[in-house]
Amino acid sequence: MKDPLLRRSSTVSLRHLLLFAGALVAAVGLISIASAHDLFAQTPARNPFNVGISEGGGRATGIMGWIMAQQVAFERLLSGSVRAIKTDTSALWTLLGISFTYGVFHAAGPGHGKAVVASYMLANERALRRGIAISFFAAVLQGLVAIAIVGILALILNATSQQMRQTANFVELASYAGIAVLGLWLVWRKGSALFSVLGAKAKPSEPSAVAHMHDHHHHDHAHHHHDHAAHEHAHGHAPHGHPDHVHDEHCGHFHAPDPKTLGDNFSWGGALLTVLAAGSRPCSGAILVLVFALAQGIFTAGIAAAFAMSLGTALTTGALAAVAVLAKNLAMRFANPESSRAIVLARLFEFGAACLVLLIGITLFFGGALGQG
Amino acid sequence: MRLSSLLCRLWMTGFLAAGTLFGLAGSASAHPHVFVVVKSVVVFGQDGKIAAIRHSWTFDDMYSAFATQGLGPDPAKLASDLQQLAKVNVEQLEEASFFTFLRVGGRKQSDFSPATDYSISLDKDKIVTLSFTVPLKNPTTTGRALILQVTDPTYFVAFDFDKDRAVTMENAPAGCSLSINQPQGLSAADQKRLEEVAGTNDSPGQDFGFKLASRAIVACP
Repeated sequence: MKDPLLRRSSTVSLRHLLLFAGALVAAVGLISIASAHDLFAQTPARNPFNVGISEGGGRATGIMGWIMAQQVAFERLLSGSVRAIKTDTSALWTLLGISFTYGVFHAAGPGHGKAVVASYMLANERALRRGIAISFFAAVLQGLVAIAIVGILALILNATSQQMRQTANFVELASYAGIAVLGLWLVWRKGSALFSVLGAKAKPSEPSAVAHMHDHHHHDHAHHHHDHAAHEHAHGHAPHGHPDHVHDEHCGHFHAPDPKTLGDNFSWGGALLTVLAAGSRPCSGAILVLVFALAQGIFTAGIAAAFAMSLGTALTTGALAAVAVLAKNLAMRFANPESSRAIVLARLFEFGAACLVLLIGITLFFGGALGQG
Repeated sequence: MRLSSLLCRLWMTGFLAAGTLFGLAGSASAHPHVFVVVKSVVVFGQDGKIAAIRHSWTFDDMYSAFATQGLGPDPAKLASDLQQLAKVNVEQLEEASFFTFLRVGGRKQSDFSPATDYSISLDKDKIVTLSFTVPLKNPTTTGRALILQVTDPTYFVAFDFDKDRAVTMENAPAGCSLSINQPQGLSAADQKRLEEVAGTNDSPGQDFGFKLASRAIVACP
């Protein structure tokens, strides 16, 4: 056991360095998303002309002027195509196309939802398809919430813009609370995972402790999990067990990615919470196009446009989630899974991403709550 | 050893790509949702100093539909609803400095009293125009030149000066002149120039809204 470890030590330290650097880059990236929203500065005064969603441009560099210019153009095309539908129903396809593209571009800007999805992926998710599914459902939920707000308030209750703003604001605040809850949940899981590997590492007399732990979690875990559902430490490890193939290659076992793995290592609660936290905050563009369509007497066209926007958003956030998941998987693969330090660093990194979700949630919630007052 | 360092580099590239994507996502932030065409009057007092700015902001059709949703419908109620909305708007605008930024000789002069004479009118297409006057707390001379910008620093609202006579003067002393510097959109040269300006700007917030905003320049002898 000692021999291979010694031989690897030089490459291992390089890997650690790279792991650390990679974590740093990702963290800086996430923080730049957050700071674009003034998360770490004081909350800007609420915009008098917002639609209840505290969406602002934030500071932008000239490099992205092109995207901005596209958005200006799309927003104008949107209202034009809604008008056109009144006389020519085939314009609906134009509206759907514009809405979809608008969704793609809109999602290319920063959003708390995207920061949350990406952080969640970095902290917790390893299955690519599931990561994409989570961002897809979050985007669809976003469209549904906008449709519900405008449909119930404007269409049924004939509420005013100020009342819609209050409701949208409340929904937004609730979604921030959801992000904070998701963060707490992740911090709890990742924290206990981190502490248990730290605890294992603290026993130098058992050099195989970490490797053993891995065997335990990846192979025995399924039983463990089902038999002792209340055992929180087992839960803490649950998500890490998923890419069994990585570790199993070393351990001489092979797990096909069967449906069971999904149930074993994946928490529906966590995924659902992520969808809710990231997707319950509607986007201003969807609300505006819905109200405008309603004013033109073609609310159904507005609904179709809102869904098309959601699909466009899903495309971009799905890509972001995929990058996060792939980057993390690559990191996991190349960080030597038998090295205890690599494991500790990986857990530390996940714990950091979890903390970031919590931080985003808390800052947004209190920023939103104060801005409201 | 060589293989593993190659793999490390590969992995590093993946993470760098992720980081870059996040970074880009963070910087690609400007996306206005509301569009306003601005007409403003620079109002001079009896003493020849600039006493107030009178605004008339016309909103885009989508925001107009949003703002007027659920108002009225009978004319008397509509009128009172619109007045109420105008009141709410100018009250909230005060927190945002009315999106009105004055500079005299490079110095900010954007201390305003609460807005007066506010109202909202609708045209036949129900397009909303919000009119209001913001008095300066300390009426000012133009100095060498006074610069007026109307912009949302967060760029949620895109303000544009009207094509035709966007800014005018009232009670201006003889010899005062007014000109408008329209930004040339986002041409490559403009972009470069704006970035250069942004680089040398002493203020930390290099706000896109400011960079894209037209400037009205008032100069008096």
